[in-house]
Amino acid sequence: MLEVLDTPLFGLTLSIAAFWVGLWVNKKIKHPLANPMIIAMSLVVLTLLIFDIPLDLYAKGASIITLFLAPVTAVLAVTIYRQRALLKSSLLPVLLGTLAGSVASLFSIKWTSGLLGLDQVVLASLMSKSVTTPIAIAITEQFGGIPALTVASTVISGTLGNLLAPLLAKMFFISDPIAHGVGIGSCSHALGTSKALEIGEVEGAMSSIAISLSGIFTVLLAPLFFL
Amino acid sequence: MKILIQLGLIFGVCILGDLISSVLPFAFPGSVVSMLLMLFLLLSRLMKESAIEESTNFFLKNMTFFFIPFGVEILRYATLIRSVWWQLLVVNVVSLFVCFAASSWTVVLVSKLQGLWRRRRNA
Repeated sequence: MLEVLDTPLFGLTLSIAAFWVGLWVNKKIKHPLANPMIIAMSLVVLTLLIFDIPLDLYAKGASIITLFLAPVTAVLAVTIYRQRALLKSSLLPVLLGTLAGSVASLFSIKWTSGLLGLDQVVLASLMSKSVTTPIAIAITEQFGGIPALTVASTVISGTLGNLLAPLLAKMFFISDPIAHGVGIGSCSHALGTSKALEIGEVEGAMSSIAISLSGIFTVLLAPLFFL
Repeated sequence: MKILIQLGLIFGVCILGDLISSVLPFAFPGSVVSMLLMLFLLLSRLMKESAIEESTNFFLKNMTFFFIPFGVEILRYATLIRSVWWQLLVVNVVSLFVCFAASSWTVVLVSKLQGLWRRRRNA
């Protein structure tokens, strides 16, 4: 039976089907925890485990999907381009804000990881976890980390950011919508940004700019933290 | 054909980005070079947004689909994750708070300084 599945089409079809179910569930239960990607990942894992299908069979199709990681990253440029007018109007605060966020993120990850005794490979997988997943994976691969661990962490960060976004503003006395948006986008990428868009238009736009900017800053700064 | 041309353009930029990344004297991910290259092409009007619009919207709308395989790879690292799961959670929560505070306060501070500077210049 397994021979039939020995084609890249199997992994592709299974992923698409799982994602479709994930989107459907997400539409029914409108909650950040009902994330279509998490549902899809769990469904694929369950399918492989229940039917005792080797991960390498799935990986054949998976490698075709991950081929698109570079194009997905490249088109993030369009999101910055679309916000160029807004970015220009508050260039300095947004640039410095995302820069400070990236430094603080890298610093706190390195510091807490060291304190908790996590090893070098785990640290390499965590360093980029505040930024958007395609860039985070690129950084992890660059430093010999485990992309799977990075994806898990970006999901945790994004979901937490989404759930806590309103509370964070209160905790840190942030009333400026630009500051709130930059804060959300810098630490919880697209998952947080979906919440920022609900909070307000300025928050949402600032958060989407911060996603790509903090990604670029983190790529530039991460090497300094591995010395 | 329109979509094929759009995809061809995006893939072409990615290959160019990888090429640039490979000749850079320091390590910098090719995909991020492609992103910066794409931004340059758009801002310099060498490429119009409409030339890649539909494909871009497709990728942006379905972005998380492309991360599914990485999540499934967790199966390979089940024992590792089981041994460090609470540390992962602590690192994530701490850095979320630190990162949010640093970035949002910096924006507030810089905006205030800018306002002060503008007022002084106008006075």
